[in-house]
Amino acid sequence: MAGLDDILNRHRVIICAGSGGVGKTTTAASLAARAALSGKRTIVMTIDPAKRLADALGVRALGNIGATVTVDAVPGGKLSAMMLDQKGAWDEMVERHAPSAEIRDRILQNSFYRHLSESFAGSQEYMAIEQLCELYASRQYDVIVVDTPPTRHALDFLEAPQRLADFLDRKVVKWFVKPYFSASWATMRFVNRTVGFLFRRLEEATGISALVEVSEFFTSMSGLFEGFEPRVRRVYELLRSKETAFVLVAAPDEPVLAEAEDFCRQVHDLDMQLRAVVFNRVHREMSGKGVATEQVRELLARILGDGGLAKRMAENFDRYEAIGRGDGLRMEAFRRQLRKDVRVIEVPNFKTDVHNLEGLQAMHAYLFAA
Amino acid sequence: MKAARDALFDRRLLIVVGKGGVGKTTMACALSLLGAQLGKRTLLVEVDGVGRAAHLLGVEPGEVGKARPARESLSVMSLDGSAALAEYLEMVVPVKRVLQAVLSSRIYQYFVAAAPGLKELMTIGKIWYEAERLDEATGQRCWDVVVVDAPATGHSMQYLGMPHAAHEVFRSGLVGRESQRLIDLLTDPERTAINLVTTAEEMPVNETLEMYQRVREELHMPLGWLFVNRTHHATFDGAEMERLEQRLVTLRDPRERGIAEEVLDRAREEAGWTAINRTYRERLAREIDMPTVEVPFSFAEEFGADQVRAIAGVIETAIIGSARRGKRHGRS
Repeated sequence: MAGLDDILNRHRVIICAGSGGVGKTTTAASLAARAALSGKRTIVMTIDPAKRLADALGVRALGNIGATVTVDAVPGGKLSAMMLDQKGAWDEMVERHAPSAEIRDRILQNSFYRHLSESFAGSQEYMAIEQLCELYASRQYDVIVVDTPPTRHALDFLEAPQRLADFLDRKVVKWFVKPYFSASWATMRFVNRTVGFLFRRLEEATGISALVEVSEFFTSMSGLFEGFEPRVRRVYELLRSKETAFVLVAAPDEPVLAEAEDFCRQVHDLDMQLRAVVFNRVHREMSGKGVATEQVRELLARILGDGGLAKRMAENFDRYEAIGRGDGLRMEAFRRQLRKDVRVIEVPNFKTDVHNLEGLQAMHAYLFAA
Repeated sequence: MKAARDALFDRRLLIVVGKGGVGKTTMACALSLLGAQLGKRTLLVEVDGVGRAAHLLGVEPGEVGKARPARESLSVMSLDGSAALAEYLEMVVPVKRVLQAVLSSRIYQYFVAAAPGLKELMTIGKIWYEAERLDEATGQRCWDVVVVDAPATGHSMQYLGMPHAAHEVFRSGLVGRESQRLIDLLTDPERTAINLVTTAEEMPVNETLEMYQRVREELHMPLGWLFVNRTHHATFDGAEMERLEQRLVTLRDPRERGIAEEVLDRAREEAGWTAINRTYRERLAREIDMPTVEVPFSFAEEFGADQVRAIAGVIETAIIGSARRGKRHGRS
């Protein structure tokens, strides 16, 4: 079983995806550290890492989108890190793309926007990808590692740009915006019963004043997203390109694996390259198979005596054997439906929490084993 | 404070939140099972889920938005915002043909897919509806307890904060009034409890502490129990592991020695996690003032309904124990 080195050699963009709580940030940081240690100019884009991981990477003080720091902890000065601020994702997008200062302020001060911008579907995901496209185009880095935002469903990341594009599609935004203050509003109601109906309901439901806010908001936004479609198209081009590799991070738990299966299917359907699956926190059944429980007990009793210790040690061993067996069976079943060209890496459950540079390097032994 | 400690199931709406991967769904299932065992008519709502809750309770997931009986006194429902919105429109739009036209229009679909906050608001609205819903025949509440398996922490905050945001934007009108009702329910300590689930490790604990602050200071919602999941409790100490280490070097047979080394390795793993868990449990105890239930790591080959039942037992023991202590304390 080959390691992940050739993936770092052949691809410029590595996207670490997976459901929350499986060690995605740690895996992304570990991959990036390896690339940098081998002399490649590397950047890792991450979101909200645990404080100690941030400390290890030296990104503690980072808050602004786009600000990069050199990670001193990794020798050679080749590793940079960028922390995406998930809360300010939309503010940043407005700042960056507003055609004028006036429109920018109008959006930022809109009460509808202020209350709801955090819950715009897919904004974090979109910002991460947009930032990625910019970095890629700048050619400042040989390798870009992306730690995708934590979502319940790993697929959200891939679908976010299209969903946003649909929403901000000028033709659609126009329905919500234009007719409201114009004479054509009444006409449109008449012509398009469906939309007219929807708007009448919205009016009743919200009260007029609020709708004015909403309408104003969309008016401002529609200017903002001129040319949004081509940008989204470029995003998907990059995600599909031969230079991009997806690495799925998973754990051998049933709910995680169910989602991982969906993700693999979807990535292939979208014509994107899934290159590897990394299982974190794997328990292994003892290597020398066919070791009977009695044998272990007898052996421990022989060297530790008949006291309670031998029994307790044996019980603990049995418990870990049970989860090791379960992990093995689940991963085997998962592997069977994977395409042959997808590499599978197992990283064992460490005896300590991984959240510092030593931890990242401990992972290298598994991620890059020959 | 005492009421909060003793009377978890006296409240109608139990919301379960936590970081992804800490065992929220498991804990929500165990709580629902316990509620049903105590004779309460219980509904478990899985928000944005994939039917995992139903599977853990041993039934196939039903249609989205519809309660599916799982056992005596217990039903389970998956919920998503789009389905909840469609259901809401069904209630306010009497004409089927018009409704169909609305639901199938492209604009409606795009709007629902990306409109800020809409899905979250409709989801909370549906939960409110189920929590308050009366049986038409008897005039009694349909459910004594509604347990909500919420999405991962960050997303949960969006859900729980949405009624407030909507109320701020739409002060008057139907949405303003309806969101006020949702806020009333969510902030009422007599009816609602936000329960936190975590494991005793760095990242989940950090997120839990943040959530704890925000629930209290931003959302002003009443807290219930803290569940610390997957705790390890080594049954041996460092000196005992050292004894094994010293003895195993005397083994001549390489196979036997290999086995003994593996045994030692597993002992160290268990001891390592026990120590980590202890550190973070202490940190949680220092920084979070909530009654706490510890749920030991389950060493099952496969995690399923049996394990959920066992966890329900652990929770029951802890809650009853806490209630007894509370009563004794109260009398003296």
